[in-house]
Amino acid sequence: MNTRTNESWLDELRSPGPVREVALDDLHAIVQKGLPYALSRWLSPEDPLFTPLVEEVTQETLLRVLDQLDTFEGRSMFTTWVHKIAIRIALTELRRKRWQDSSLDELVDDEENPAPERLMADPQASPETNAERADMLARIRRILEEELTDKQRQALVLLGLQNLPMEEAARSMKTNRNALYKLLHDARLRLKRRLAAEDLNAQEVLSAFEGR
Amino acid sequence: MGQTQNDPPQLPDELIENLIRSLEHTHEQECTCDEVFAVVDQYAEAEIHGDDVARLMPLIKQHMELCHNCCEEYEALLDILEKSNPS
Ligand SMILES: [Zn+2]
Repeated sequence: MNTRTNESWLDELRSPGPVREVALDDLHAIVQKGLPYALSRWLSPEDPLFTPLVEEVTQETLLRVLDQLDTFEGRSMFTTWVHKIAIRIALTELRRKRWQDSSLDELVDDEENPAPERLMADPQASPETNAERADMLARIRRILEEELTDKQRQALVLLGLQNLPMEEAARSMKTNRNALYKLLHDARLRLKRRLAAEDLNAQEVLSAFEGR
Repeated sequence: MGQTQNDPPQLPDELIENLIRSLEHTHEQECTCDEVFAVVDQYAEAEIHGDDVARLMPLIKQHMELCHNCCEEYEALLDILEKSNPS
């Protein structure tokens, strides 16, 4: 089925009438056949959501492909480019679903078991080690307070504490995933430079945390 | 939920630990999720062909180590390419 060159895909999808319909049908079949391989890590094919999700994502993918046809640069096979778009759509949806489900579960869990203060005190460690650890943690907290902007901090909380998927965190901060990545990159860089300025390296900090 | 915008929750230890851990993979130059998305199809095909992608596209490789979302999408793409065209 997939014997077209990239050029014929583009030509046929841009042609009016039946030529385009045939190409779209073939593309539909290719996406529909490929997606289950990508989704099986996320959702069992027996799950009642599986088939409708594949169909929904396939439809959405074809729309997006037609819309973005001009942006295809021919760096890969056309169908690989299409699969990449399908995956972005599918995983964005699955992450959102998974997060919604898990945040419901967590609401129940949190009330029953408060999170342990894992790093602060290790009953097996010596008092000196625990004191050292507490000092290091306090120092790092102070650095974070000085270096991180409110937005960076908010992003860290949404992603790391509330476990929002990138897209959801971005949406709630009225930005997008790419800008969110940049924001966090800036945060990491600032922190890395600051630790270097204080003659601390990440390994050293981590081993203090781990009490070694 | 109980937190207001003016009163951010304290960052938990585990989050700080993960943040510090991510510094080892932090570089002055990093590509963004959009830049990865633009070439991940080419990157996946190169991987399937057995090319040394870490050497050919080091920034992409680096981003995958830091960005769980892009890495998942890349692995899903490999799954499709490997299983729909078994050679
Ligand atoms: Zn990314």
